[in-house]
Amino acid sequence: MKKLLIVLAATALLSSVCFAKDLKIGIASGALAMDPYYQNETTTNSILSNIFDSLISFDKDIKTKPSLAVSWANPEPTVWILKLRKGVKFHNGNNFNADDVIFSFDRVKNWDKSGFKSTVAMIESFSKIDDFTVKFVTKKPFPILLRKLTYVGILDKETVEGKSNEWITLNPVGTGPYKLVTWRKGDLIKLTAYNDHWRGKPEIENVVFRPLTNNATRVAAILSGEVDIINRVPVVDVARVRRNDKLNFFVKPGLRLIFLQMDQFREDSPHIKSPTGKNPFLDVRVRKALFYGINEDAIVKYVMKDFAIPAAQFSPSVVFGYDPSIEREKYDPKKAKELLAEAGYPNGFEVQLDSPNNRYINDSQIAQAVAASLSKIGIKVTVNATPKSTFWAENRKLNTSFFLMGWASADGDASSILDAIVHSYDTVKGFGNRGRFSNAEVDALIDQSSAIMNPDERLKYLQKAQKIALTDLQCFIPLHYQVDLYAFGKTINFEPRTDSRIWVFDISTQ
Amino acid sequence: MAKYIFNRLFHSVLVMFTISFIVFFIMFKAGDPVELMLPIDATQQEVIEMKHALGLDQSFIIQYGKFLENVAQGNLGNSFRYGQPALDIVIERFPATLELSVLAMIFSIILGIPLGIISSLKPNSILSRVIMFFSLIGISVPVFWTGMILVLIFSVVFGVLPSSGRGEVFLFTSALTWDGIKHLIMPVITLSAFQLALILRLTRTGMMEVLLQDYIKLATAKGVPRRIIVYYHALKNTLIPLITVIGIQFGQLVAFTIITETIFAWPGTGKLIIDSIQNLDRPIVVAYLLCISVIFVAINFIVDVLYTFIDPRVRV
Repeated sequence: MKKLLIVLAATALLSSVCFAKDLKIGIASGALAMDPYYQNETTTNSILSNIFDSLISFDKDIKTKPSLAVSWANPEPTVWILKLRKGVKFHNGNNFNADDVIFSFDRVKNWDKSGFKSTVAMIESFSKIDDFTVKFVTKKPFPILLRKLTYVGILDKETVEGKSNEWITLNPVGTGPYKLVTWRKGDLIKLTAYNDHWRGKPEIENVVFRPLTNNATRVAAILSGEVDIINRVPVVDVARVRRNDKLNFFVKPGLRLIFLQMDQFREDSPHIKSPTGKNPFLDVRVRKALFYGINEDAIVKYVMKDFAIPAAQFSPSVVFGYDPSIEREKYDPKKAKELLAEAGYPNGFEVQLDSPNNRYINDSQIAQAVAASLSKIGIKVTVNATPKSTFWAENRKLNTSFFLMGWASADGDASSILDAIVHSYDTVKGFGNRGRFSNAEVDALIDQSSAIMNPDERLKYLQKAQKIALTDLQCFIPLHYQVDLYAFGKTINFEPRTDSRIWVFDISTQ
Repeated sequence: MAKYIFNRLFHSVLVMFTISFIVFFIMFKAGDPVELMLPIDATQQEVIEMKHALGLDQSFIIQYGKFLENVAQGNLGNSFRYGQPALDIVIERFPATLELSVLAMIFSIILGIPLGIISSLKPNSILSRVIMFFSLIGISVPVFWTGMILVLIFSVVFGVLPSSGRGEVFLFTSALTWDGIKHLIMPVITLSAFQLALILRLTRTGMMEVLLQDYIKLATAKGVPRRIIVYYHALKNTLIPLITVIGIQFGQLVAFTIITETIFAWPGTGKLIIDSIQNLDRPIVVAYLLCISVIFVAINFIVDVLYTFIDPRVRV
């Protein structure tokens, strides 16, 4: 009898082990730090979003929703009052309250190594009203404050205060649905469910994130069943993944736009040889000619294997500021040649196209395809593909005339790209505008839009700014939006998110 | 002997000093790490603040001087990218690389030398030809191909071995757990393929040369058993060049596990160093290369000492 009981107990134990809901996720790159303010980097943010909660969070389509803040009011254009959630506990049992919020924002704003300074730059001050109410004051009316708040995970003041930065980055204590068990750098990050989490007990008990940076390795891991989910399925392996009847394959349109930007402010640009001796990109007709002269459909088909979406504007439709009336115009080399001739370049010109070769999906191949396309309208393009470390350094020095880059409007608002890349380069905006496109009317629209608190009204300004900058002036050449490709087991319920984060709380198994 | 060791130490310090300077200089010239750490639209002010926080706003000489000052206190600086002490990060990942290289080396030696001897004794037999055929494959097939084919066969098709990762780790090594051993098999085979073939071929050539020497003929004439001639008299003389090569190759293994580590997502230093070079994480690159040079120096020292045991004519 005793023996039987032991056997039964062992069986029960075994079966509970078998049915324990564990999940292994193969990710294309690992986390850099467990300090939520050190590196503003997609994968790090993705993993830490499971450990730390922010005041506001994004749903899967990057719309804002309450998280540690339950409600908010905006009594004056620059003043925001946020009510905090009560009864929330950190992983170590400490209570969450306004002091933690104030402490966190103080650190993210003032720590000299904070990677999120630009995220919170518009916040002038923050203060505690009572234990569960905080007040934020912005420098100017700032309609997208809530979107920015999604980036700041809240730390526990009692735990972190007085600790060294090296300690903080190894010991994350948040209020999120998962807590860290082990972090073997380059090997795995093991998380376990935090059962007292305020949203409720997470369905998946243990999660292991494994950085499988080599594409073939990542695919082998999902095909052999060693991991349950992988992200960034390489386009060349899509067919193999699809053939496997144990796997689901999911295509999620992403936020990142790939585009070409060009020198639009120097008469004498460093890498251009034109018959007139001038910089042809100063002429809008030449920029238009480029747009018509690049066969983007062919790039999507042959370089991206159909896993990209040709872009007609700055950001995809999920982003606030999208304009449904703009559609992408067709590839038209004839029109391109006419425009070039009109601008005084019937025989084209020579230019160097700079591109990173390890930053975006197939970046240098895209540049090659662009060069091939443009050669048909008489523009001789030499591709200069370099590692991102070299590329960005030269780019900041403006040692370039024509270059490929990408931009993700990660906070889900068109102001992201308008402020950074379309606005003239000045002391507050346009820092990513390395082509130095500049138009007073566009600047005015962008500046005005940033102070309009009414969303409908604001949308009109954003759309108008885009229309002038892109449709009329062709401030750069949009190519395509990247898409995120996932493969996961048939027994897993997983719906990928627009922000590319892997939010385990919403994943379940059958 | 004491004087010899002292000289060796002095040379090593000089070597490491030079290495640190060269690496520091190359990384200084290679680009701006801050550019990769901050978003594209970071303000000039943020760039300046970040540079200041990392000490990158100083001139090369001052930065290098600071580095030396810190090294004197045993501090190699904090990684730009991970924000933790660079030496800790490197050392944390060294066991994984060492275990892979040591096992690969042992595997190559215990298979390579006997197979080399066998194929040298009867060079024209079928067995020798088969051995030589496979050694040719081992020498010429690229590591990433071997690795991927093993993964395809044993993980994807048959599902008997895990395709990646280190598995369960006990006392710094995965060689002590069953799960860990399963994870080790394919990376070790992949990494040792070339070494094994190299050692095998060197042993064979060495033996074939030595077996023609007069003292072997003398021993045979004296009636010394064939076994003793081969495994004692001949092998001992073949070993000297072999040990030099094994020493150099071991250093190579530790330093160049990069491809194997990438294929098998093995969390060693090879992957770390590639990432760090790409991200211009200077403190890690410097710390890693200093560690590697310590290992090389140590291996060379051990090889020199081993000589004296094998060949009494050699004195240190």
